[in-house]
Amino acid sequence: MVTAGAVVAAWAVLYVVVVTTAPLSYDPATESAAKVNREFALLLAVPTALWVAAALMLVDHWWFRTGIRMFAMDPPGRLLAAAVATLPDHRREWGMAMNAELAEVRGRSPRWQFALSSARAALRLPPLGGWPVLALTTGVVAAAVAAAGPAVDAAVPGLGAFAVSFLGLVGAMVVLAVARLRRVRLPAPAPTLLVTGGVAAAITMTVIFLLRDPAAARYLPPANALFLAAVLAGCLWIAVAAPRSLGTNRLAPHLGVAAAVVFVVGQLVLIRASSDPRIEPAGQQLVQGLAALWFWFGPVAVFFVPALVAGSVGRSFRTGLQAGIWAGIASLPLTYALWLHEALRLYAINGGLLWFGDGAPEGENLGAALFWSLRFIPLLGLPFAVIGAAIRPHTARPPVAPTQHAAATIKP
Amino acid sequence: MVLALAEKPTAWRYGYQLCQQLGLKPGSLYPILVRLADRGLLETTWDTDVPAGRPPRHLYRLTGSGGALATELAAAPARRPHLKVRSQGA
Repeated sequence: MVTAGAVVAAWAVLYVVVVTTAPLSYDPATESAAKVNREFALLLAVPTALWVAAALMLVDHWWFRTGIRMFAMDPPGRLLAAAVATLPDHRREWGMAMNAELAEVRGRSPRWQFALSSARAALRLPPLGGWPVLALTTGVVAAAVAAAGPAVDAAVPGLGAFAVSFLGLVGAMVVLAVARLRRVRLPAPAPTLLVTGGVAAAITMTVIFLLRDPAAARYLPPANALFLAAVLAGCLWIAVAAPRSLGTNRLAPHLGVAAAVVFVVGQLVLIRASSDPRIEPAGQQLVQGLAALWFWFGPVAVFFVPALVAGSVGRSFRTGLQAGIWAGIASLPLTYALWLHEALRLYAINGGLLWFGDGAPEGENLGAALFWSLRFIPLLGLPFAVIGAAIRPHTARPPVAPTQHAAATIKP
Repeated sequence: MVLALAEKPTAWRYGYQLCQQLGLKPGSLYPILVRLADRGLLETTWDTDVPAGRPPRHLYRLTGSGGALATELAAAPARRPHLKVRSQGA
């Protein structure tokens, strides 16, 4: 409730700031300031309400799964539990061992000492291949990042900031994987391949776009370049080395990726149909209506449907959420790549932007692709992944108790 | 650590018990135990016979190779062991 209250208060402040400092423009002949402000409030309230609802569902799930157990612990217990939660799979038994020994330590001060020291051990277990391998990996990553900026900028002007950001983020993930002995899990090879292909396609299309229209670089300033790099690197990370907390169900990634493919193919068909001169004007109207529906409700469906299906089939909130996340990481880079590809094709034919406006510079398509594909879709769709996953939470299987797991992993 | 575990080679020890016996903090003890186990010198198991509400505890003792290393260390105390284990407190 505190979270909900904070979000509602932040929303109210944002609304007041916007309507007082940057009043919305309107036509006084047909509209009034009050009407425009009311409509703006509604427009702002719907996504806010969705996000608050989704956040409350996540908190509720976390509370019944983890929160109650954490709440029953004393501060040293919570500290150590948090530290050992970062351990990779094959070191988990050591984390459980430390937690179990802490249960035997009596007295506030000794418990703090034991927890702090154990937490330090949990965070500093030897890296894969030893410290030299970690230092070498870090060095290679740092050198690659330092060399990438000037080299890429020389080859594709305007792409240097993206190259540095993307390589830096991916390199940081590699270093972290080596440091924490995290193995590449590839929970589902085919969906992983598709997401990786989507990320590669997104990067390739950005390069092609900037080579075709170097002036478009002004739509990829450092902030946008960093954002694009963060989204693509994040998609790659989840696809290749998703943490256990994102779920381990094997069906969920397939469902999510299937929904994303349907979403992206649907976009392609509608874009092609809307620019097909063989279709009659009446048919064009129908296509444009369908395209509008797809544009606004597609992002909702692509997150909601796989989350609902996976959550129901797997009878688990987390599985549903996992499917929704996979739908997101597959659809975002693919939609972005498709947007740029089709924008280039259509601009060459009619000199117009892909969806909105004619006569604008071709480079605006890059800004539009960044906004609509990578910001709008997750902003609108992500809460529906949570809602879809939460529809049948009461049928979820009770989580396996850590003690049962521990007993099941006895080593000779 | 190896010598302490070799005092009663068949006995299983708890981590906290070893901390107290050797005067080590867990921040030093557990990395050593992890390295010993990684090298096949230490075997581990879980003690599930614990009071209700308590988690199972991890138990440790030397393997045959660990016992051989302990014998080697005991026989040549002046020579540096080839297994690097740190023993300073954390």
